[in-house]
Amino acid sequence: MNTKVPALVALIAGLGMGSPLFAHHGDAAYSATPQVMKDCVVTEFSWMNPHSLIKFDFKTEDGKVQHWTMEIGSPPSMALLGWGRTTLKAGDVITAYVYQAKSGVMVGRTNKVILADGTVLADRDDSTPSR
Amino acid sequence: MRHAFIGALVALVAVLVVSSAAVAQTAQSQAKQARSPWVYYPLDTVAGDGGPAPKRDLSGTWAGPGSTDAIPRGAAADKPSLTPLGQRVMSERKPIGRFGPAGTNDPTARYCDPLGFPLNFIYQNRAMSVAAMPNRVVFLLQFGGFWREVWTDGRPLPTKVGGDDRDSLDPTYMGYSVGRWEDDYNFVIDTTGLDERTWLLRDGTPHSVMAHVQERFTRVDHNTMKVSMTIDDPKMFAKPFSLGTYFYRWIPNQKINEWLCVPSETLKYLQEQGDPAGSYPNAQPQRLGGGGR
Repeated sequence: MNTKVPALVALIAGLGMGSPLFAHHGDAAYSATPQVMKDCVVTEFSWMNPHSLIKFDFKTEDGKVQHWTMEIGSPPSMALLGWGRTTLKAGDVITAYVYQAKSGVMVGRTNKVILADGTVLADRDDSTPSR
Repeated sequence: MRHAFIGALVALVAVLVVSSAAVAQTAQSQAKQARSPWVYYPLDTVAGDGGPAPKRDLSGTWAGPGSTDAIPRGAAADKPSLTPLGQRVMSERKPIGRFGPAGTNDPTARYCDPLGFPLNFIYQNRAMSVAAMPNRVVFLLQFGGFWREVWTDGRPLPTKVGGDDRDSLDPTYMGYSVGRWEDDYNFVIDTTGLDERTWLLRDGTPHSVMAHVQERFTRVDHNTMKVSMTIDDPKMFAKPFSLGTYFYRWIPNQKINEWLCVPSETLKYLQEQGDPAGSYPNAQPQRLGGGGR
């Protein structure tokens, strides 16, 4: 019985929130391998449709500060994965796993975010719909 | 002595039972106190098999085929045979799946235009409520916050929509719909008068204003609904074809969270993320994410 509980929870959670399996857009514009940036300082968190945005500053080894924007899914979809409107705020320090845009600009798709307390928040997993 | 021991044991057990019950009640009451009636708690929605389907009734709050892998995926739309006009319109469309937010001309992705019918029952069909009124059935859609009226008073479909005649009706995003119960478990809806600015399918497949879409809603059992759709549109397609089959599951106390396309938010997304990322229509499709595993 216990083994059925996680599946049941996943099923019910998916049903309740009404989240889609289909991505809003393709990911062809982004590199396939995420880059890891530690000690990023959040400057803005926009909890919005069609995709929420996380903005942060990342200091490179030579001391330069890069201004990044990365997207996650829409609020109802991300709520299934543990995100919320108050998950991030300006000043929070995170580790960002980002698929950077092929265009070379500092925007990306999110692989995951690790909060200062160690909490791992994904953009998608295989048991829960993405976007 | 032995009776005294048994008596003490009974008393102890009684105290334990009462106290554990009290603890359980306290935990339950605390759990209730911590909950808000405005928040949807998925664990509250265990519905079992639901039993047999009610007769002539689609009322309820339904979770659509995109909601979870647990809902059968049904069947996708067939590939249509386009007329020369259909091919010309199609050639001008740049779907977001290939061109991305930066390169697409999908009016929903770029401007928050409504998906319109039938695309909003084919793509992004997430949560949906159905309510029956004396002379119509109303569909309330989570995605976009739209509603749709299906008239059940016996009126015929309009024959003039979008034409130059003075008595021609205006095209609408949801079209003009009439419905009838074919038997106790099959509700058939016919729709026409669809605004030509909407895309029939996500890949940009067009439709004309007088396209005729027919849906068959089958209440399979209490908790399961199947929807099959076809379209006949001689202006755009050489022959009628299937728009797919879709399954829904009834969730008794589902709270449909607001899911609107807000133009200012879409503009912000495009300016700050979608457009800078660029468009790569010839790149191999890929699906990213999954960092939690």
